[in-house]
Amino acid sequence: MYVYRIVLFLVFGGYLFSPLLMSGWGSPGAAWYRPFLIWGVLIALTVWLERKRRLDEQHRGGGE
Amino acid sequence: MSPLVLLTLGVGYLLVLALCALAVERGGLPTRLARHPATHTLALGVYASAWAIHGTLEQAERSGYGYLAYFLGAAGAFLLAPMLLVPIQRMAHTYQLASLADLFAFRFRSRWVGTLVTLVSLLAVLPLLALQVQTLGNALRLLSGSGAAEWLALVFSALIALFAILFGARHTHLHARQDGLMAAIALESVVKLGAMLALGAFALFGIFDGPGDLQAWLDGPGHLAQAETHPLAPAQWRTLLMLFFAAVFLMPHMFHITFAEPLGRRTLLRAGWVMPLFLLLMALPVPLILWGAQRLGVDASLTGGAYLAFGLSSSWWVGALAFIAGLTAASGTMIVIALALSGMILNHLVLVAHPPIAQPDLYRWLRWLRQGLIAAVIGGGWLFYRTVGVHHDLTTLAMASFVGMAQCLPGMLALLYWPGANRRGMVTGLAVGVAIWLAGLWPSLLGGTPVLPALPGLEALAGEPDWYRVTLVSLAANVLSFILVSLATRTSAGERAAAEACSVDAVVRPMRLPLVAGNGREIQHHLARALGEEVAEREVERALVALQMSPLDGRPYALRRLRDRIQANLSGLMGPSVAQDIVDRFLPYRQDGPGANEDIHFVENRLEDYRPRLNGLAREIDGLRRYHRRTLIRLPVGLCAFGEDGELLMWNDALAELSGIPGDTVIGAHRDTLPAPWNELLGRILAEPGSQLYKQPVTLNDGQRFLSLHKAERHGEHETHGGNVILVEDHSEMKWLEDELVHAARLASIGQLAAGVAHEIGNPITGISSLAQNLRYDNDDPELQEAAEQIQQLTDRVSRIVGSLVGFAHGGRHVTGTAFQPISMAEVTDEALNLIHLARSGEDVRFENRCSPTLRVVGDAQRLQQVMINLLGNARDASHPGGRVVAATEADGERLRVTVTDEGNGIDERVRDHLFEPFTTTKPPGEGTGLGMALVYSIVAEHDGQIDIESPPTGQPHGTRILLWLPLHREDAESTDEPDPDR
Repeated sequence: MYVYRIVLFLVFGGYLFSPLLMSGWGSPGAAWYRPFLIWGVLIALTVWLERKRRLDEQHRGGGE
Repeated sequence: MSPLVLLTLGVGYLLVLALCALAVERGGLPTRLARHPATHTLALGVYASAWAIHGTLEQAERSGYGYLAYFLGAAGAFLLAPMLLVPIQRMAHTYQLASLADLFAFRFRSRWVGTLVTLVSLLAVLPLLALQVQTLGNALRLLSGSGAAEWLALVFSALIALFAILFGARHTHLHARQDGLMAAIALESVVKLGAMLALGAFALFGIFDGPGDLQAWLDGPGHLAQAETHPLAPAQWRTLLMLFFAAVFLMPHMFHITFAEPLGRRTLLRAGWVMPLFLLLMALPVPLILWGAQRLGVDASLTGGAYLAFGLSSSWWVGALAFIAGLTAASGTMIVIALALSGMILNHLVLVAHPPIAQPDLYRWLRWLRQGLIAAVIGGGWLFYRTVGVHHDLTTLAMASFVGMAQCLPGMLALLYWPGANRRGMVTGLAVGVAIWLAGLWPSLLGGTPVLPALPGLEALAGEPDWYRVTLVSLAANVLSFILVSLATRTSAGERAAAEACSVDAVVRPMRLPLVAGNGREIQHHLARALGEEVAEREVERALVALQMSPLDGRPYALRRLRDRIQANLSGLMGPSVAQDIVDRFLPYRQDGPGANEDIHFVENRLEDYRPRLNGLAREIDGLRRYHRRTLIRLPVGLCAFGEDGELLMWNDALAELSGIPGDTVIGAHRDTLPAPWNELLGRILAEPGSQLYKQPVTLNDGQRFLSLHKAERHGEHETHGGNVILVEDHSEMKWLEDELVHAARLASIGQLAAGVAHEIGNPITGISSLAQNLRYDNDDPELQEAAEQIQQLTDRVSRIVGSLVGFAHGGRHVTGTAFQPISMAEVTDEALNLIHLARSGEDVRFENRCSPTLRVVGDAQRLQQVMINLLGNARDASHPGGRVVAATEADGERLRVTVTDEGNGIDERVRDHLFEPFTTTKPPGEGTGLGMALVYSIVAEHDGQIDIESPPTGQPHGTRILLWLPLHREDAESTDEPDPDR
């Protein structure tokens, strides 16, 4: 559940700050792939959190 | 490209799709592949409709990165899968809810709610369907230049409808596994992703010279084109994110593929990152295609921003790739929307208006209706495109659709997180929101003037796009009226129960009521009146198989589970409203019994399922609950608990072992229906005014037992937790011990009596012996001397017998090693034989004492005599008439091996392992106490000896040999211990 809270925090954080993404369009010097790079990092983070959650669940399932 | 080529290309693609589905259904492709989690996850890619291919391009051209809202909003919903999608999936699977309307009708306990949600979905989805058809029509028009593109689009729509009917509507149950369809939808996701990536790669490397060149173009000449875009205001962007976030679980096609299809929980959790990755890869080529078209100078005003991909190259394959990308996205969305919407219309409009009570051949009737509705939905989509869609761009159609569906968002959030929400609030909120949506967006869609801008109080939103104003106003009004009306009105008991079933982290607490039907067969009989014999039989059979239940199981608990399962299955067939009506009407609860109690056993089972999801305090409390439950279950004393209505709630392990009845088979049964003798016994203690019954004789499988029962009445703080707890103690051994004690006391009295008698007999016998001796010495007559000698021998024998009796009477006390003396086993055996011979039985058995008189052991003569009496007595009892019993000794190192061998039948192997345990006997009932060998074992152990059994003995065909090893007495050891007189 703690993992879920981190994901929830990430999603709401992303929701609040996502308008910043749009400023890069057409700006000289701004890498066109920047939003996709940030998105990719978020996915990698989610994969790691999902793995952590799965291990945590397996550990709990084996308890008692 | 000519229209014929395009038609061939499109039909060929749909044919490949159909072959894929067919191959899966006919076993041409392994089922493992079709049911693989990756296939299911890819099927979720149906979210990327034609809007993802063409609409996002239109948006990117207008508002730059604003197009990302469609992908990021959905990615956010998938990231929140564990908190959002998994609970909905659990509900949908548990209660067989196949659509949003089913879910709402179930939660708010109203068929009208289901009907309202269906109507809203139908209205909201029409523009989205029209959008799909429009992209097809426009693509066909642009590529072929044909003026009859609309009719070609109709041909494609008809083919798509045919595919949906063939592969999506074969089963009447909406939750039935449709592997072929799932595989085809997954294939579509792969094709559209591949096509989009190929188009993006073409733009990046075919039009630009790679990422560096693209960046240089963007920083240079391309900068002007980008400056013409109008980025979305942050508030508009966030609103779009929310709309697309909600679309993932509200849009009928997404609900269908995510929750109605049998996706596993793990698959959905994995989709939490796979789908954001899929959407990222789908979103990545969009700006590349746009920039590529801008670099080539394609005029967006001629093609429309949505179709810029067709202008990337004059090569036929680029156009074909863009066409296939659009077709695959549109066809997948249309197929799943048609399936989902047909189910909703069937369950919440058709069946509500025309309940299928006593409908002959119900399954076929439902299938035909569904297939007709699929065709009607896709036909409706095409008609909407022809009459309305052609006058609007993709963004207008998409926004009308997504804003409409978002009106169900407050209801969905309340369903998950607000048990206080009620039907009136939900209907009011939805009606208000939908009315604003209809007034704000539909008039302009239909060519009229929107009503919303004329409304007073909305001046602050003047100048904003229609979709944005309508979204804000409709959702605000929706939420506000929902909350206010829910708080102001009463929530029915049924709604409260359904709210608990739907709420995240709430455990369903169903009531315990007996059904009118007494078993599965009777349920089938009752149900046949509503569904017909054949359907009732199949549905009851399905439910029984799912629950692994016997049709004759009459336990109230099991029947309630069967009723729930049948209701859930019928819900999958006809929707929750009709299903509930049928079970309420034809499978009613009995009203004559005591009041309803909570179904504790069911709640416990649910808690066990919820366990991995519990955290913090709830987990600690659940740990305590499990600890106390385990304590009761593993209590070494039998324990059972009854509710106030006489329903069995607990049957612990000890009681299961004692009775031979597993708990699973009786828990939930009424006490009167328990197997004999438990129904009578437990009924007696429950009816008893006292709280105890002592040593009740009961015949169980393993013979007669004596059970003591103790009862405690529960008067819990909650009236629903009343009932009785009964402890069942097995006092059989204690009863036997008591009987043995009485018997032993009687024997002791006889022993004392015998000792007294022996003493009294001893004096005259001594006199007789002295007189015989005198007679022998004082008389020379040889006959008299011989007679006197015989008298002396007989009196000696009498003296020995009397001495043995006295000795035995004084024996039996526990002695320690300090009283041990060197004794001859030959003498002990003789003494024992003297006593054995006194018994009347076994007179024809021959005893041989082959014990060596010179070999002596260290021990207590009386105790060892008792050992030999028991062993020789047992050997005599086991021997056949004329048989032989041999007692022998042999030195074995530091020990003396004593053997008692008979030629009887031997000892059964199963008995042999328990022979030294108390109350184990091979003799017929009433002849043996089962304590003799236990006593022998105990005495031998006191002497630091060992005992073993050979049956049959080595070298003998049958019989038994008891072997004892006792400490051997050594003469030399004794002499060395003696003090040396010379010192």
